[in-house]
Formats: sequence, structure tokens, C-alpha cells
Amino acid sequence: MTPEELGKLAAKEQKARSACKHRVNVCCAAGCASMNSDKIKDDLQSAIKEKGIADQVQVRSVGCMGLCAAGPLVSIESEGKSVMYKGVTDGDVSEVVESLEGKPIERLNLPTDMPFFARQEKIVLENCGVIDPERIEDYIAVGGYAALIKALTEMTPAGVVGEITRSGLRGRGGAGYPTGLKWGTVAKSPAREGRKYIVCNADEGDPGAFMDRSVLESDPHRVLEGMAIAAYAVGATHGFLYVRAEYPLAIKRLKRAISQAQKIGVLGANILSTTFSFNLEIRLGAGAFVCGEETALIASIEGNRGQPRPRPPYPAEFGLWGCPTLINNVETFANIAPIVDRGFRWFASIGTDKSKGTKVFALAGKIENTGLVEVPMGIKLRDIIEDIGGGIPDGGKFKAVQTGGPSGGCIPKQYMDMPIDYESVKEAGSIMGSGGMIVMDESSSMVDVAKYFMEFCKSESCGKCVPCRVGTAQMYDLLEKIHKGEGASDDLAMLESLCELVSQTSLCGLGQTAPNPVLSTLRYFRHEYLELLRDGQKELAAAGADKGKDGAV
Amino acid sequence: MAWITKNSVAPIERRNEPYLSDELKRKLTDEVLTRYPTRRAATMPVLHALQEEHGWLPAQAIEEAAAFLEVSSAETMDTASFYEEYWLKPKGKYVIWVCQSLSCELLGHQRLIDALRNKLGIEVGETTPDGKFTLVTAECLGSCGSGPCALFNEKLHENLTVENLDRILDSLA
Ligand SMILES: Cc1cc2nc3c(=O)[nH]c(=O)nc-3n(C[C@H](O)[C@H](O)[C@H](O)COP(=O)(O)O)c2cc1C
Ligand code: FES
Repeated sequence: MTPEELGKLAAKEQKARSACKHRVNVCCAAGCASMNSDKIKDDLQSAIKEKGIADQVQVRSVGCMGLCAAGPLVSIESEGKSVMYKGVTDGDVSEVVESLEGKPIERLNLPTDMPFFARQEKIVLENCGVIDPERIEDYIAVGGYAALIKALTEMTPAGVVGEITRSGLRGRGGAGYPTGLKWGTVAKSPAREGRKYIVCNADEGDPGAFMDRSVLESDPHRVLEGMAIAAYAVGATHGFLYVRAEYPLAIKRLKRAISQAQKIGVLGANILSTTFSFNLEIRLGAGAFVCGEETALIASIEGNRGQPRPRPPYPAEFGLWGCPTLINNVETFANIAPIVDRGFRWFASIGTDKSKGTKVFALAGKIENTGLVEVPMGIKLRDIIEDIGGGIPDGGKFKAVQTGGPSGGCIPKQYMDMPIDYESVKEAGSIMGSGGMIVMDESSSMVDVAKYFMEFCKSESCGKCVPCRVGTAQMYDLLEKIHKGEGASDDLAMLESLCELVSQTSLCGLGQTAPNPVLSTLRYFRHEYLELLRDGQKELAAAGADKGKDGAV
Repeated sequence: MAWITKNSVAPIERRNEPYLSDELKRKLTDEVLTRYPTRRAATMPVLHALQEEHGWLPAQAIEEAAAFLEVSSAETMDTASFYEEYWLKPKGKYVIWVCQSLSCELLGHQRLIDALRNKLGIEVGETTPDGKFTLVTAECLGSCGSGPCALFNEKLHENLTVENLDRILDSLA
């Protein structure tokens, strides 16, 4: 297909869209699908046919609309107006069809101006819940693959790298490494035997994070397009999407998306009739969290156990089979097409000085509106928790939010007015991580949380280096001892010194950051540990005298 | 934990018919091997394909995979045993993966596991005697907002309660 043909296809799709008086979108992402939204879609379709208005109404399955807890969700766009319905069941179908020509159904209505929707700013998720993820035509109709055309026909590879660099985009996989810098390194590294690789890290393993899954299920082409642009920019011809096997729906959607993209020629040989070729394939993980670490991921693709190796050399210079390899996260790739399309200035105008653009967060735990939200960097934690998240349910009180999964920590309420960006979150003793936010209320025990994450790290440690393998097990035992009320201050001191040792001497990020949940809960909620110690009263009394100082509650 | 080693005393059970059939070999040669600079790189796709075909990975199948990949059996076993989702023992027709990560834990995953243990009469990690269900735990399934959740083979179920669990199990009966 040539760029012109692609343009025609987009125009045709747009025309078909606008010819319909009503567009009924049924969320069929994992959340709503598990509440049988597929059947609701089929029922809606038959009811509309029966009524004889099938030519005016388009019913389609779309990806995640974000507010998974209120599913199954249905949104209806009619001549510029839109309504959204929550908790739609089989029994509501005929009423929904009737309402197309009448008034919206009050009982099901989910106001789209509620802060949950109104305060978000969507880039990564802009197509989620709007297009049918199983149809490439839908993606093309909303401007999909236009950025790839632009890159291939109007920009040099170095120009693309420059655009990404100047946009200020930073990796969304956890560490926040500047994406343009990484691309530049891969672009400059000489290919080995003519080969360079692109890898999309979709091993999303942080407990509490599900944005990558949602993007892959709801807008898979966005990620493919980002990868193709990256391949052009750094001079790679082959790419891998490493997806965890626990995401069967995402895998299915990706497979379909890749074959559609190959068919119309936006992937494969001579893309869009240019000399650029890029082949992409899916590699399945098999249940090892550590494979999300980039060097372990490489080992896994090469056919070995997923064990990390020391860096440098970094994959950007020495990756898959020794070739320069660009590894980015799903959300990072999902940001690429909009940046190329709309320009770096637009992207750089969103967010803070050092953290540009938006970030997708997964809200879970003790919070009213659980689900996915995308907000500009720099938004206050309070805005996310109280406005967008709707606060703590059942009259509970906010205690802390866990971010960054097993590598992160708990941010307590005195940081409610902190802007959310890479640096501030780090200063508060946690990390941005992949974007999971698990909210905890007064009933949650922080020692429990620390113990939970340590158990996770212990069982996910790959066993290659001693500090992580043995250290996490020892720290877990100490936490359990304290948790049971059998610990003493010596144990707490030992725990703290192990935290230091493991973080300083482990081989990869898993071990280096495994102590973080303990350290951050100790920093802010030390009294909860002390209360459990056999001999904690003395220190507790001393801490009581300090009440009001930072952290001591 | 991938790094705990055990002495294996049981001899390898063998059968005459190969697990890695000629047909599967041909398919893997055409569709998988050609993509990589080394044969070893096809280890995981080959193991996934064998597991899909047979439901699990018997030791003989791993040996055959190693021969096909032109590496030693120990190396293929090393890779296979590292990943939790390669089944080195037979599994049930339905594998129930209950999420045990933090959000689901906060939302009551333990009740779910207890209900499953009672109903199926097995412990976590075991398979029912009729070979129908295997009960295991998984880390975060990416539905933290609507927990507790579990995968039943490839189908994800969210907001699970002891009551709707019964319905799901019955529907699989
Ligand atoms: C133990 C461990 C697990 C990780 N898991 C993931 C993951 O699931 N997804 C991801 O994108 N990055 C993960 N990372 C980070 C990657 O190593 C890598 O930094 C990232 O994929 C780079 O992409 P980015 O620059 O786009 O963020 C993990 C790192 C460690 C140490
Ligand atoms: S914690 Fe259970 S799905 Fe994430």
C-alpha cells in the first residue's frame, strides 16, 4: 500500500463513520468482557436489527474506557452528543436501544463531566474505548499510521531521533531514562552483521500495574506504529514484542494486529512502498517477573534462563546476540506516534520541567474509582486520589499510596500536595515505576505491605547473585518474625542493615530495589514496626516525643 | 523458586512415539527457526509449542527439543525449569490461576483460595484426581481494580465471590 492509498482508506472509514447517526461503543476489554459485555454487544446488535435501524446505528466493541469498576460500560455518540452508561446488563438492552431516539437513561447514566473523566488528559489512551482494537481500519480512521508515513517520507532517521529527544519523553517502564538519548545510542552503534533489534517490553510484572495490558488490548496498533518508527529511526529491521503469558487477550489482539498490519503493508518488507523493512514478532514469557529486566529479557529471547547480567555493556550497544538493541516499554512506544505527528513542542508543553507529557496510572485498592487514568505529569497526588479517584470508600481515611510495585514504596498523606513527577516521587522515598497506585486506608498494616513485597521479591529472585537470593529470604524471615510479634530491636537493626547491603550489592534492579518497600514504610510508619517488637516500647516512647516531625505520625 | 535444586531419582518415563512429531518439527523449522541467528533462540517457542500440543512437558519431550535445537538436554531443561509456566508435571484440563498480588489480597483473595480448596478437595499446586482442575496462584493478572480475580485457562474472571465461583466451576463441568 502507498501513503496515498492509506489516506484514501482513512477517508472512506471516516465517511462511513459520519454516515451513522448513532455510534454505540461497547467496552470489550478484559474487565468488561469478564462481565459478559460481548453478549451485551451481540444483543444490542440484534435489537437494533429487529428495530430496523441497523443502517443508522453502528455497534462496535471497543477497548478499555478506564472505569473498569463500573463495567460493563457502553458509550453512545449521537450527532456530537455523547452519553455513557455503566453497569449495563442483558436486561437493559432494549431500553438502551429505545433511548437512542429519546432521553438518556438516568438510572445508568455515568456523567462524562465527572472529575474521573474531565480531569484526565489523554495521549496514550486517547483511542482506548473509542476504536475497535480488532480493526486496523478503525485505527487508520482516527489518524493511525499517519505518523509512520510522515517519518518515512518527510523525515530522516536522525530527524526522528531529534524529535523524540527534544520532546523530553522519558521511559515509562520505571526508571525514566530519556528515550531520545537511548535511541541516539542505538542509532550510533554500528550494526553487527547487519543487524540491530527493537524490543517492546510488555512483560508488565509489577503487581498493581495494568496500563500496558490495557493499551495492548485496546489500541495495539499504536504500539506497533511506535515500534516501526523506532526501527526506522535507529536502523533496525527486526523487532520483538515480549508479552507475558498471563495476558491471553492482549496476545490475541496483538497477533491479529500484526497480521493486519502486514497485510496492508505497514509492517514487513518495503513498508508503504519505501525501501524500509521491519518485521515484528511476538515472544511469550512464561511467568518470570525478572524477565522484565532488560538483560534478563534478552537472555530469555536468546533461549536461556531469564537471568540478568551486569551492565555495562548496555543493550543499546550490546543486546540480542551482541547486536545493538533498543528496549522500551509499551507506554513509551505508545507515545511515539503522537509526538512525531504533532511535533515535539506540543508534547514538551505538557507536564513539568523534567517530566514531560502524561503518565497512565492504575488506581487500585481502597479507592472509589478503580481503573486506569492518564494525567499530565506534575499533577498533585491529591488530585489523583481525591478528585479523579473519588477518595476512599466507606468513609475510610487515606493512609498511604504504594507506587512502583516491589521496587517502590509507600507515600504517606503528608505528601498529598506533592506534584507527581519522576524526581518528586523519588524524593518521597518511592519511585514512579510503571504506574501502579495501590491506595491504602487506615485499616491497612504497613508491615503487612512490606512483608508482601518481600515475599514477592524472594520468590521472583532469579537466584543468580547471592545478595538478592539469600538477602531477600533473610529479610523476609525477619519481617515474618516481627509480624508475628516475636521480633526484638536487634531484628529490626539487622533488617535495616540487610536493606543497605542488598540494595548496594545486588546484580540487577530486582535486588537493588527489593528493600525499598521496607525502607519507605520504616521511614514513615516506623511505629507500626515498633509496636510489634517485644521491646519496642522504649523507642516508641522516644518517637512519641518527636511527634509532628516529618514522618513520625 | 527457580534456583532450588533437587535430586531427581525417578527414571525418565519413555514412550516410542516421539513428542516432537515430524510434522511439528517441519512447522517449527519453517516458521520459527528461520527467524533467529541461532537454533537455541527457538528454545522457548519450541517448548511453548510442545506444551500446547501435549498439555505439559514430559522429560522425553525436553530431550527431543534439545536434540532438535542442537543443544544439550541439560541446557534445555535448565531453561524449562526456570520458568514457572512450563509444566514439568501433567496439569488438569482447566488451570485456575488465582491472583495473589497485593490488590487482590486486599480484596479478599484468601477466601477465594479457601473456597476452591474446599470445593475441589486439593491444595494449591495440586490437580484433582479426575485430571480436571489444577489450582495455582499467580502474580498480578492486571485487573487490580476489579479483584479478586483469576484466570480459568485463558478466560479472566474478575470481582470473584464464593457464589459466582460456583457458577463458573459448574459451567466448566
Ligand atoms: C526486576 C525488573 C523488572 C522490570 N520489569 C519491567 C516490565 O515489566 N516492563 C518494563 O517495561 N520494564 C521493566 N523493567 C525495566 C526494564 O529493565 C527497562 O528499563 C525498560 O523496559 C526500559 O524501557 P523504557 O526506557 O521505555 O522505560 C524492569 C526492571 C527490573 C529491574
Ligand atoms: S493484584 Fe490481582 S490482578 Fe493485580
